[in-house]
Amino acid sequence: MKRVASLLGLGVSAVVLQGAIATWFAPPWCPDLALVALIGIGLRWRGLARGLLLAVVLGYARDLLSGSLLGQHALLYLVTFTATMVATRQLNLRGSWPLAGFAAALTVVYGLAMLALTGFFVGGVELRVGWLAAELVHGAMTGAVAPLVSALVGRVWDWAHDDPGPRPLGLDAVRRSA
Amino acid sequence: MPDLLKRIGAPLTFGVLALLAVVTMVSDRRSLAEGGRDLPWWQAVMLEIAVPIQDVVAAPVDGLRGVYRDYVSLLEVRQDNERLRVRVAELEEANLQYREALVASGHLQQIASMRDEFEIPMLPTEVVALDVKPWFRSVLVDRGASHGVRAGNPVITAEGVVGLVTATSRHAAKTMLLLDRQSAIDGIVQRSRARGIVRGRGTNQLEFEFVVRGGDVMVGDVVITSGLGGVYPKGLRIGEIVELSDPAGGLLQTASLRPAVDFGRLEQVFLMMRRGPTMDLLYGENDGPVESARAPSGRPSS
Repeated sequence: MKRVASLLGLGVSAVVLQGAIATWFAPPWCPDLALVALIGIGLRWRGLARGLLLAVVLGYARDLLSGSLLGQHALLYLVTFTATMVATRQLNLRGSWPLAGFAAALTVVYGLAMLALTGFFVGGVELRVGWLAAELVHGAMTGAVAPLVSALVGRVWDWAHDDPGPRPLGLDAVRRSA
Repeated sequence: MPDLLKRIGAPLTFGVLALLAVVTMVSDRRSLAEGGRDLPWWQAVMLEIAVPIQDVVAAPVDGLRGVYRDYVSLLEVRQDNERLRVRVAELEEANLQYREALVASGHLQQIASMRDEFEIPMLPTEVVALDVKPWFRSVLVDRGASHGVRAGNPVITAEGVVGLVTATSRHAAKTMLLLDRQSAIDGIVQRSRARGIVRGRGTNQLEFEFVVRGGDVMVGDVVITSGLGGVYPKGLRIGEIVELSDPAGGLLQTASLRPAVDFGRLEQVFLMMRRGPTMDLLYGENDGPVESARAPSGRPSS
């Protein structure tokens, strides 16, 4: 429970912070911290069903702070989380470079999927070269920060360990002193 | 049975959550099509938590920008002063002549009463967060329902129209920018009075769609709000035509419009504290707490 709460806190913080950081580095130069945090969680998570719940909550949190339709990020967070868990089984994403590449690719695919969803629900979307270029830049920026954010998620993951492991019983100490 | 549940647990969870997301998307789309909403408390909580944090995070950069802007302004202030003195003298002269003409025609009193009617109180507010994804164009501002802000309030700067409040919590409001693809405003060309619709493209430019026949539109024309549509008041600057597309035999022609507002540098914006009649029809005139709005220290020119 402590781990879930901590990761939820971290994920929501990433969503909140990136909105403010976007005032420093305007899109597409601002990395998608929230997406990278989700990828970092997906790399370590065990048990898909509970992870999906966490992902959808983070997605809704993001929807509330962005201009997307409510549920748009939530749906894509589900897919992203599942994709990350599947990729972790097939690929070695422990190194910085593979992780950066994976995050960059996922960001671009995420962007295109977001565009497709917007086109479906809102309409009037044409794929333009400018958008694609912006998304590639956005992907590269996100990939660049992915190892750092993932390491931070790892720290929180280790810190919020639910299972404290075997503890030495006090009896041993009593016996030794006797 | 437990084995089966274990096996289909994850796909089932995925399916249910995905369906939930689609349902909320459809319902949100409907709500947006009706002009926006005041958020229910469980959604507003997120904004209430986020905005103060984002305010603090954005503060250092805002401060640095402010110092730089003040420095640059200081360098230009003498030249500006000279130029403005001349301009004020010219305008005072012109104003005097117009007043004389109006007094002569007996219309001055009538115009004075009209002006009182159209004065709209404004609330200055800070932009605290932007969307990260390039094609969503919304910002969060740090004033909400407790300051009298309601969904449907127009948002402007001294340069022109910024967008529209689409959702509010007590201390924050989400604003859809003109650039968003869901945004559309009725506009007129200031020079020729040709009418059309200004739409967001999701890029840094807008699209002006007008009827080819009789539509006198040229590159360099300024487009302003027409007041029709009942959302924005008439006469607010939207942007300038930068490119005309080939009509290709169609009835409608489109033009690219450079927005009057620099959306990349949005810091302080003004919330117009009176909604248009269409918005009042959608929401009812007295939905939500409305406190008296403070007048901004510097009134936007539009």
